[in-house]
Amino acid sequence: MSRWSWLLWLALCGVTDASAEPRIDLAATPAWKGWTRSGRGTELDIRLTSDIATRATLDVAAGAQSARADVDLEPGRTVRLQVPIEAAEDAAVSAVSPGGSPVRKDVRLAQSESPLLGVGLGTDVPVRLDGFQTVTLAADDLPRNASAYASVDALILDGPTLRALDQRQLGALLAHAAECGRIVLVNTDLRARQVLDGVRGCGGRAVMSAASPAEGVEMLKSSLAMSLAPAISLVSIRELAQPDRVSWNRVLVLLAAYFAIAGLALIFVPSRPVLLLVPALATVAILALLHAIEPPPQLVVWSEGESGAQVARYEAWQMFPGLVRGQMRVPVLPQYAAVRSCEPSVPMRFDFDASRGRLTFAAFDTRLFRTTALCYSGMFPLQRTIAFEARTDALLELRNAGRSAWPSGALLAHGLVYDLPALGPGDSTIIRTEGRKSLEAPVRIAMARTESDRIATLWELDPGEVAEGAIDGKGWLLLTAPRP
Amino acid sequence: MSAAHSPGTPVRAARSRGQRGASATALTGLALAVAIGVWWLGSARLALDHGTDAGRGAADALHALWLVRGMALSILCVRVGALYGWRRGADAGLGLISPSWPVVALAWSASATSLTQVALAELLLLAGSAALPLLGLFLRRSLRRVELAVVAGSGVGAALAAALWAASGSGYMPLH
Repeated sequence: MSRWSWLLWLALCGVTDASAEPRIDLAATPAWKGWTRSGRGTELDIRLTSDIATRATLDVAAGAQSARADVDLEPGRTVRLQVPIEAAEDAAVSAVSPGGSPVRKDVRLAQSESPLLGVGLGTDVPVRLDGFQTVTLAADDLPRNASAYASVDALILDGPTLRALDQRQLGALLAHAAECGRIVLVNTDLRARQVLDGVRGCGGRAVMSAASPAEGVEMLKSSLAMSLAPAISLVSIRELAQPDRVSWNRVLVLLAAYFAIAGLALIFVPSRPVLLLVPALATVAILALLHAIEPPPQLVVWSEGESGAQVARYEAWQMFPGLVRGQMRVPVLPQYAAVRSCEPSVPMRFDFDASRGRLTFAAFDTRLFRTTALCYSGMFPLQRTIAFEARTDALLELRNAGRSAWPSGALLAHGLVYDLPALGPGDSTIIRTEGRKSLEAPVRIAMARTESDRIATLWELDPGEVAEGAIDGKGWLLLTAPRP
Repeated sequence: MSAAHSPGTPVRAARSRGQRGASATALTGLALAVAIGVWWLGSARLALDHGTDAGRGAADALHALWLVRGMALSILCVRVGALYGWRRGADAGLGLISPSWPVVALAWSASATSLTQVALAELLLLAGSAALPLLGLFLRRSLRRVELAVVAGSGVGAALAAALWAASGSGYMPLH
């Protein structure tokens, strides 16, 4: 081979190598300047660039949870993803493309033992709240996923910071306001206040407006003195959901059938092949039957709102009963927001859709008698207004003061349950004094979550009402109003 | 030729005794499986009703199944091996072990125990059901008197069962 041929060959090899091995640059920044709290959720803002067009696989791991995304990279274009993660001391982000070397970044998260106060003020005014760890924020430090707001316990934001938020950040902030997040707006314009007023939960007690940071701190102190309705606990949800007795019943029947057959076989045909074959075949048959029968997932939705409010907050639990040892991969319900594992200690792998910026599938290990659950939370539009009028001849008169009809439900007052008929807009009904006590789980939970100075109505809710689309499951809507 | 001297009669009688013995040990094995299966399903139901982890009860059931069968195997197989020989000793062992397999499979499916550990434990039991009758046979041939061999076999079997019980909590045992 001539010298020129060698040079040409070497040059071609260089070109081939360059096209086969893209160089990926990876950067990952945690929300809230890296501050979070143990057992809460937060978010990683990930930036990916490549020198040539390639398809990269991104892996994000934090604690027992991980997420994977396929990302199309173009030269000179930065792809930015905000991936929700569980709070852990460290998060590992890695990206690899076909034929390329993997790139890895470790992100350290600071877990505060004190409650966190996020302060997003354009000025350098120092803000302190006793017992809180203050985190000074720029607009870009605020997350795009509502679930990441779980990291902070209170927030002070001013007008310029609010105006600098992008659409996804605003959406997450509004969802946080609807979920009774404590937010103080300092010197914000009327329009911003109106937007937040429209969605604020807990009767508007969690979203406050102040003229100065100092006033905002005082308002937060007053707000902290009163308790806001916390998210419903997993224990309560287990009461609402039917225990997984289907699997247990099936196993009982299968074992009973086996014991009966084996007993008869051993009495009447006591030979070595029977000794071996009956238990062995029964083992295979039982395991095959359990693999063949897949119990359907169960969805439970609990929603709460205030009479006259524009939105109600909801929490949804999608439970997957396990029948066999193995792995289950389930689609995340696209109608519901802020999906996460209900138990952070359970290892779970999510698929993240980079184009839509959301988690799409969840994969986890299953075993017999273990139910794994996905938790969702968010808000949905609601227009139900209750008007009460005290009466001397009855408990009260209740009127549907909203623009939509109600189904029949229950009125909860004075620790008793009263039947509430279906009412059209403007219709009213007189609630007689004959109430009853109820030990039903939804009623007990509703009463426990209603403050003593309020009256509550409880309706069964089609989970499809919370989000568009038909979803099988059961749900409840708790609406409270001040006692007349 | 009289019936007492018929060549087929003692063989049939021995076969019949052997079948009855195998059936009895297999039914004992089945009774063990039923007892532990009922206990495990009961604990699983309580765990499901209280929202706690049913996997721990399943792991306990696996451990109990292994230990009880191992101890019963030690006591029975050496004695049967000394009395009737290896083949019937091995049959008795198999009859004791195999009826629990479906319960073992279900308890494994409900527990966090690895398949390798459970398979190893079952293989150990199978190996025991093959080896322990040989020990009984060895005692019979060494002592040359069946009665003495049976007593010695029972003693050795009881000592092995006690040793298994004592060692059951150690890390050297499968499913500890």
